Amino acid sequence: MKCLLTKLYIIAFMGLVAFFGILIWNLTFAHVIHEYHSRESDVPLHVNGEADKKEPRQQTFDKMILESEDRVKHYLGYRVLEEQRIEGHFHHIGFDVGPDNRSYCRSCHGDMPHDSVKDIRAFLNMHAFFVGCQTCHVKFKEDEITNVYKWYDRKTGEIVESPVNGAPPGTYNAKIIPFIRENGKIVRIDSEEKIQFANDYKAAEPDLSEGQKSKAKKLIHKIISKTPVTCEECHTKQKPTLPLAELGYPKTRIDSITSTEVVGMIKNYTQFHMPKMLNPGEATPPVSPPQQPEAPSVQH
Amino acid sequence: MRLQSRSRPLGAVIVLVLVIIYLLPAGVLGSDVGNCLLCHKYPGLSRVDENAEMRLLYVNEEIFNNSVHGKVKCEGCHTDITKIPHEPVKPVDCLAVCHIIEPAEEQKFSHKSVEAFLEDSVHGKKDKNGNEKKYSEDMPTCKDCHDNPMFRPLAFVKKVRAGVAEDALGRCRVCHKKEEFIYRFYNHITTRLHKSRSPLNIAQSCARCHDDPKLVARHNLNTRAGFSYGDTYHGKAAKMLDETVPDCLDCHVPKGQSVHQMHGNDDPRATTHPENRGQICSSTDCHPGASVQFANYQVHSEFSKEKSPAVYWFTTFFYILTGGTLLPLMVIMFLDLLRRLFPNATFRRRK
Repeated sequence: MKCLLTKLYIIAFMGLVAFFGILIWNLTFAHVIHEYHSRESDVPLHVNGEADKKEPRQQTFDKMILESEDRVKHYLGYRVLEEQRIEGHFHHIGFDVGPDNRSYCRSCHGDMPHDSVKDIRAFLNMHAFFVGCQTCHVKFKEDEITNVYKWYDRKTGEIVESPVNGAPPGTYNAKIIPFIRENGKIVRIDSEEKIQFANDYKAAEPDLSEGQKSKAKKLIHKIISKTPVTCEECHTKQKPTLPLAELGYPKTRIDSITSTEVVGMIKNYTQFHMPKMLNPGEATPPVSPPQQPEAPSVQH
Repeated sequence: MRLQSRSRPLGAVIVLVLVIIYLLPAGVLGSDVGNCLLCHKYPGLSRVDENAEMRLLYVNEEIFNNSVHGKVKCEGCHTDITKIPHEPVKPVDCLAVCHIIEPAEEQKFSHKSVEAFLEDSVHGKKDKNGNEKKYSEDMPTCKDCHDNPMFRPLAFVKKVRAGVAEDALGRCRVCHKKEEFIYRFYNHITTRLHKSRSPLNIAQSCARCHDDPKLVARHNLNTRAGFSYGDTYHGKAAKMLDETVPDCLDCHVPKGQSVHQMHGNDDPRATTHPENRGQICSSTDCHPGASVQFANYQVHSEFSKEKSPAVYWFTTFFYILTGGTLLPLMVIMFLDLLRRLFPNATFRRRK
C-alpha cells in the first residue's frame, strides 16, 4: 500500500514537472519562435498601409463583416459588464443572446432578414428575434391548422418551457414555432427533413446549375405564403393568431401587447407610413395629414 | 347627484395614483417620459441600413438608468424626434445644448467646450494653420472613444454592497430626503474621484485606432501604442485589472487638464515633449524623485528586431537564459522521478 502511494505521488509530481516544463517553454522559447513567425507574416508598419497581401475584395469583406464585431468588458468595480461592441453604438446592450441554431431560414437570410419596407423593417426584425420565420410567413391549409405554437431553444432547437414570465420583454433565448398536422400527427413545421434539405442545398449550391438552384429554392420556399400574417392579426384582443396565454404570456403582458397603445402605434404606421404594406395589391388610399400623438415637449 | 357620486371615487383614484407615483422608485420613472421604451426595450429592434451598417436600436433601460446620462430624456439628445412614430433620426450631436442645468452656474449644460479642446489637440482635424490635416477622416469623433459612460461608484470602508458605502449614504440622508437624488449624487461624485474607466478599458479604447497597422502607417506613428503598452509592467498590471497603474491618459494628458487636451510629441505643450517628459514619471502619485533619464526610457518599444534592436536582443537573451536554465532542470527532475518510479528499469538486455 505504501509503495502504491509512493508511486502515485511520484506520478503526480511528474505531471507537475511536465506542466511547469510546458509553461516555461511557452513563456520562453515558444514566445521567441512565435514572435519570429508573426514578424515574418506581419504587416510592415512603415509601408503606407499598402502591404496587405490579401485580395482587395477579401480585404473589404474582412473589414466590413469580420472586423465589425468585437467584444468588450467594462470593469465597473461593482460589476463587470461584458457585451458585444458595435462600432458607433452608444447605448449598452448588456447581455448576449446566442444565434438561432435551429432556423434554416437564418442561414441564408441572416439575423436581420427584413429590409424591404424601410418604415417597419426594424419592428419586423425585432419580432424575428423571438418569433420563428414560419410563424408569420406560412399560412396553413384548413387540414394543417392546429393552433399549437411552442417555444424552442435558440441554441439546442429543443422545445422548451415558456421563457416569458419574469424576463424583460423580448430578451428570450427562445423563439416561437408553429405546429402543423401532417398525416394525422401534430409536428413542428421546421421538421428535420426540411432542415436537412436546406442544408444539403447549401452544401451543394456551388455545383448546381442555375435551373437546379431555382428548383431547390422553389421547394424550400414552397410553404411560404404570399402575404404574411399581419400585425393586427396578433395585436388584437379578438382571437389573436398566436395563443398568447398558452405561450406563457401573463395577463399583464397580453394586455400590453393588445393594448390601445401598441395597436394605435400599428394603426399609425399602417395608415400613414406604409398604407400598402399590409394590404398589398390594393390601391393606395389618399394620405391625409398624419394625426400622430406628439412626443412630449422637452422641458427646459 | 350622479355627478357627485362619480366624482368622489375619481378623486380618490387621482390621489391614490399621485401617492403611488410619489412612492415609486426613481428608476421606474427614469427619463423615458416619451415612452420610447415601448419599442426600444426590445433587443431585436435592429436593421441593416443603406450603407450596410448594422443599426441596433435597443436601449437597455437598467444600464441606461445607471449611466451618467440616466437623467437625460431621450429627446434631450435625439432632438429631431418630434412625433411618434418617428422618421429615421439624425446622428446625435454630442455638443448640443442639453436641458440639464449645470448647478454651479445654473446654465444649460453642454459638451461644447470639448470641441475646442479636441480641435486644438493632436486628434483635431485641422492643423494649427487651420488647414485640413492629411487623413483627417481618421481622427476620432466622440463615439469612437465614448460609449454611454457608466457610473463606477466607490466604497472605501464597510462595503456591504459593492460600490456603495451605506455610511456615506446615511450622512447624505441627514439633509437630503430624496433617495434617488442621494443615490445619483453619490454615484456621480465617487465616480469622479477615481478613473472613470479602468486602465485596461482606456488602453483598449486607444488601441482600437493606435493598434491598427494601417492607421499607424498612414500617420507615421512609430509604434502600436496599445500593443507595446501591454508589454510593459504597467500594461501587464492593467490586464490584471489593477486600477493604480497609469493608463494612456495619465502620461499623455497634462495633470489636471481635460483628457481631450493631448498634443503631439513635438508640441511644447505635450507632456511627452522632450522638455516635459521628465515630469511624467516623477509626479507625486507615481515615482517621486524619478530622473529625466528614467522617464526617457523607451516606453512603447515593441519586441521587434527592426524597431528596438537593443530591447529585442536583451529580451531574447533573457528568454533564452530563463528557458535554457529552467527547462533542463525540469528535464532532469522528470528523469529523476522516472528512475524512482522504475528503479530497476534498463535498456540493456539482462544476461
